[in-house]
Amino acid sequence: MIHPQATPSTVKMGLPIPNSKLGMWLFLGTEIMFFTAFIGTYIVLRIGSPGWPDNPEVTHIEIWAGGTNTFVLILSSYFVVIAHEAMSKKNFRKARNFLGLTLLLAFLFLGIKSFEYYGKFQHDILPSHIPESNAQAIAKVERQLERIVMAEYDALFPDEPNMDIRRQKVASAEATEPEKTLKALDDEFQNLRSHISANVSMSAELNQREEIVKLKDGTQFTGFATSPPGADPIIYQLTAGGKRSVKKADIDVPMAGKEPPPINLDEVKEHIERMHEHPLYGSLVAHLEVSHPIMYGNIFASTYFLMTGFHALHVIIGIILFGIVLLQWNKLNESWSDWIENCGLYWHFVDLVWIFLFPLIYII
Amino acid sequence: MSDDHNAHHVRYGVIFIALCIFTSISVACDYIPRENKILIAFAVLAVATAKALCVMMFFMHLKFEGNWKFVLLAPTIILAMGIPLALMPDIAAHYYTVDIPQAEHAEIAHGDFNSSGSPAVEADR
Repeated sequence: MIHPQATPSTVKMGLPIPNSKLGMWLFLGTEIMFFTAFIGTYIVLRIGSPGWPDNPEVTHIEIWAGGTNTFVLILSSYFVVIAHEAMSKKNFRKARNFLGLTLLLAFLFLGIKSFEYYGKFQHDILPSHIPESNAQAIAKVERQLERIVMAEYDALFPDEPNMDIRRQKVASAEATEPEKTLKALDDEFQNLRSHISANVSMSAELNQREEIVKLKDGTQFTGFATSPPGADPIIYQLTAGGKRSVKKADIDVPMAGKEPPPINLDEVKEHIERMHEHPLYGSLVAHLEVSHPIMYGNIFASTYFLMTGFHALHVIIGIILFGIVLLQWNKLNESWSDWIENCGLYWHFVDLVWIFLFPLIYII
Repeated sequence: MSDDHNAHHVRYGVIFIALCIFTSISVACDYIPRENKILIAFAVLAVATAKALCVMMFFMHLKFEGNWKFVLLAPTIILAMGIPLALMPDIAAHYYTVDIPQAEHAEIAHGDFNSSGSPAVEADR
């Protein structure tokens, strides 16, 4: 028998959840892939890099900061759940309070993260800033000292770009006190630079290598090469006195004798520390420090900032989402329940990512 | 709005305390001597997985959702695992001879390929 009134269909299409919740879960699915790309890359790079820095004194990773942040996020997740439960019981005041607490905890997380980032910036643990060998550390401090010297020249002679003229002015008898200070600093920098490029210890003089030179005509002499490396003919200061010019082609036996020791990082460090105490220019180089070389340091910094930076960005987005709800304040009603549930899902995901980031970065 | 959470009473406070305990265990693992890397990695990742399951099952309410959760999450997990698995042979496992400056420096400085703590490398000029 056909009823005149159509009965509603009992067949239900789709999932038994609001579209917004499905949309949020689909988004979280993409976020899982997003973060797994970074975390997976970090894991793979780390396994493939024997010698990866894991000493907290080297990486300046503080476990107390990571542990506190973990607790902060877990507590905030708990508060979000309490707020959502309060919304379902139409206790909007309680929901508002707990969402407010969640927001405060989110700011606390960002505050601790900012403190950590500040420490990284202070120690120059940034991608492409970290020397990975002694040679790179020496080259870096040379560049930094050059920048200080050039900045002083630019400050004292803003209208004169020519370095030769600038150097003449600081070396002249009419030079002012700041110019004399700069000359002393520049001389010290040039001395350091010469030793670095010649790879000669700071304790040895440049070009002072006593050599026994045997010539093809059977004669030999002892002296110091005074020409730059690679020069031909070579000018020798004879130990017995006088000078002699010798072509490389006339030398029978490769030059022997004591080579000056090569420059090393420790003496550059000591040299910089002595420069700090110089009465004239010590204040100009007060912030100059020799960076400790960290093998794989740059890729460590890259992966660290990539993972934690994107996570912090997600925390900021979460703050905006909760902020939009809290702006309703007294007008918060049950129409906001879905929003709060979806924000809660997003926030739990942010917590989930940190649950994995914390052990990977801070503990392992 | 889903009302499932009314039908399924979850003691969120207990879950929160469990998460705090797990976090404390993770932090305690930091005091295991650094030589036992595999033990540390296994322990902290197991704890992290337990915490993640607590958050997903109870806070995110997945325990009480329908089978759609598997349809949605299984492909994402598979695709998410794809990148590390794809990169593992070339970058992590090193089945071919490695030619990177860091490895040479490690050999020169320490005579072996494995060194941790990144001490300064001596001879590299």
